[in-house]
Amino acid sequence: MIALRYAFLHDARRCTGCRTCAAACRNQHRLEPGLTLREVYAYREEPTDPRRHFLSVACHHCAEPECVRVCPTGAQFKRADGLVIQNHDQCLGCRLCMIACPYGSPRYSARERKVVKCDLCVDRLEAGREPACVEACHTRALRLIDLDTYTGDWVAPNVPGFPARAFTDPSIRFVVPKNAPTAR
Amino acid sequence: MSIRTQTATGSRRVRVVCPHNCYDTCSQIATVENGILRRIDGDPEHSHTRGRLCAKGYSYVDRVYARDRVRHPMIQEPRRSGHWRRISWEEALGRIALKLIGMKDRYGSLLPLCLYQGSGNMGLLHEATRVLFNSMGPITESVNNLCWTTGRNATRFDFGAVRNSDPAELQQAETVLLWGVNPAWTAPHQMGHLLDMRDRGVRLITVDPVGTATASLSDMHLPVRPGTDCALALGMARHLRETGQIDQAFVEGHTLGWESFLQYLDSAVTVEWAAAETGLLPGQIRQVADQYARGRPAAIWLGHGLQRYGNSGQAVRAINALGALTGQIGQPGAGVHYAHRETWILKEGLQPDDDWPGNRTVAAGDLVGGLRALSDPPVRMLWIARANPLVQAPGSEGFRRLLASMEMVVVVDPFMTATAAQADLVLPATTYLEQHDLNVSYWHHDLALNTRAIDPLFEARSELAIAQALGREVNRIRESFATFPTEGDEQAWLERAWTPAARTLFQVDSPTDLQGGPRRAGLPRVAWQDLRFATPSGRYEFSSEQAVAAGAPALPVYAPPAAPPVGFPLRLLTPHGAESINSQFPGQPPVVELHPETAAALGVAEGEEARLASPSGALHLPVRLTRTVPPDCAVVLGGHMSQINLLTQPRPSDMADTDGLRGLAYADTFIAITPVGG
Repeated sequence: MIALRYAFLHDARRCTGCRTCAAACRNQHRLEPGLTLREVYAYREEPTDPRRHFLSVACHHCAEPECVRVCPTGAQFKRADGLVIQNHDQCLGCRLCMIACPYGSPRYSARERKVVKCDLCVDRLEAGREPACVEACHTRALRLIDLDTYTGDWVAPNVPGFPARAFTDPSIRFVVPKNAPTAR
Repeated sequence: MSIRTQTATGSRRVRVVCPHNCYDTCSQIATVENGILRRIDGDPEHSHTRGRLCAKGYSYVDRVYARDRVRHPMIQEPRRSGHWRRISWEEALGRIALKLIGMKDRYGSLLPLCLYQGSGNMGLLHEATRVLFNSMGPITESVNNLCWTTGRNATRFDFGAVRNSDPAELQQAETVLLWGVNPAWTAPHQMGHLLDMRDRGVRLITVDPVGTATASLSDMHLPVRPGTDCALALGMARHLRETGQIDQAFVEGHTLGWESFLQYLDSAVTVEWAAAETGLLPGQIRQVADQYARGRPAAIWLGHGLQRYGNSGQAVRAINALGALTGQIGQPGAGVHYAHRETWILKEGLQPDDDWPGNRTVAAGDLVGGLRALSDPPVRMLWIARANPLVQAPGSEGFRRLLASMEMVVVVDPFMTATAAQADLVLPATTYLEQHDLNVSYWHHDLALNTRAIDPLFEARSELAIAQALGREVNRIRESFATFPTEGDEQAWLERAWTPAARTLFQVDSPTDLQGGPRRAGLPRVAWQDLRFATPSGRYEFSSEQAVAAGAPALPVYAPPAAPPVGFPLRLLTPHGAESINSQFPGQPPVVELHPETAAALGVAEGEEARLASPSGALHLPVRLTRTVPPDCAVVLGGHMSQINLLTQPRPSDMADTDGLRGLAYADTFIAITPVGG
């Protein structure tokens, strides 16, 4: 899969909130117990038509990543294909990136005393496979798209309640529930 | 394709099967490096699961190496003191053997031993414990389970047996009624198929008191008042009758008692009455009935949540009747599907051929009451395996007292569960990754081989190995005390289970032939396709003499749900979450879900702790507000951390089988909620 601008597409009209994606991520990256790189949140309910809708998010591999800008050692960098990658050996564990990221995506490993983050399963991508979270999704609610060529379902750049995207231009797009105006 | 191959990096891939009490029973690929489990993946060769697992399956590396694994045999002395000491297998089994022999000397039989087994691991070889004890003579044994009995009994009266179509056949439906089932969380693979069907224009309709994730993604959600599913089904049937949508040729040719059922509908049921009972609008009931009768083929999936009320047997029978009234039985994409037992034949191969002793049985759903009633001889020792009844069984406090009243409690489990913590001896069991086994599902029709991926951790042993060692120990102390075959490894035992019946059903000569992937049983893909029902009449029975013999009405008739007692106004519902299965897996921290208006009236707020109390007990949980919960209900997901069965009691449901066994009415639990400190 060769793409120039990878992005996650989250489709709330298919997401069941089953958290399989988050568990598949932990399985893939052999994260220590309690550590997760992907979170599943409930959308806020619409009072007049209450339903359970969910949002699954990890690192957004932003176009203007703050984590890369603040990293004192250059351990974090952005590749030409959009992936924001961490060179784990160079991470000091200073956690500046965790403070800078508006989405709380980088996580701290107490065992390693370093930051870990989603690498979009770069090894799998280079082997022609989807990221573990995307492959595991039972309903294709979570997909990987190329922003330059994607012509599928109508997508929203943002959902209310999601931190302002102007700051870092995160690489995620949303298909929102028909009846849920805000995320929490 | 055999995947048991060595790769260039030295890692090994082994085919295993998730053994839990779950629809999907996934074949899995375990990756092992230098004897250590590294990851778990779905099995692309398993057509039902398409190479994917769920949140539980993908967390098994953490699970196997979890800190709460029991590492060695442990003894608690003094009893229930919390003071645990590691002992050797020899000492543990020696103490147990002396107890067994002493009891038999004292009482002349082993009836004072009660074996309680749950569904924590449904693998075949876990039957070994039962075979061992029965080789020493009759014992007391818990039968039945906490889960599906009411629906099973009702379905047997109607169809004569519990069968379903191969789940792949569901994909031919044009309409699917998901009745009291939340596959989004409890059968995620099937949910993937259902949403693909929705994309093709298939109508998904969910009937559930709670606005579940499944209801939220369906085309239509009918938020039926809890315990009134029977009224909804009867109202739909009445509308079908009024509008001439009954399949007259089907009911005349293949059913029994349809005239009296229609008379009952005419005399006792109107759509408006059903609307008043269920809290739905008459138009909604007519709409869903029309969609079911006209959007053919239409399938109904009956969930387990539906049959946890005191009137659920009648609800299941009334829903089954919709299939028969519209002739939507025995056809691809149609049918009423609950579960099946057609592939669960292997354990017969493990039982001794002759002289299978008659055990004294007690219903698992009310072990406390059942054992209290036994005095000749009384039960003195409990052996609990693959179960955590202190958390799962209704009435936790009564169960705790029962454990305390025993002379010896042995728990066999991979984990130090709440029940294990009350035991005298805990024996460390292997997880499925540390042993060989065979697994089938009660939903799909596949059989899969579980090959040992890693060596048993610490001193863990499989239940077969434990049974063999205990058999040797009792025979060492007293010759020929147990006739149990103490030789033969797990694979040899799987071969023993491979009877001619298994060979015929699965078309496989030996379990080892399953190394390339699961095998679908040679069952009809469509249940009841020949329309030869297993009832006494050979027809679908709207009117059942067997139901009458078991003390129930002949026809599916309505009984209103239990009403809340004074002081306990909220009905407690405990559906299953996505990240735990019964008491297994940690899941999310428990909360109580309340409707915002209910919470406001009670003076509790989002995030605050509330006190939940029933006549049986009380506990504290944080509040989460959601309008997807009915205002007169509180919802707490089942799981080991909520301890929710402190609030429940073993209430029987309405429909006994001819063997007298009943299911449990967990959903007829009523509670009061107050602010903590208020």
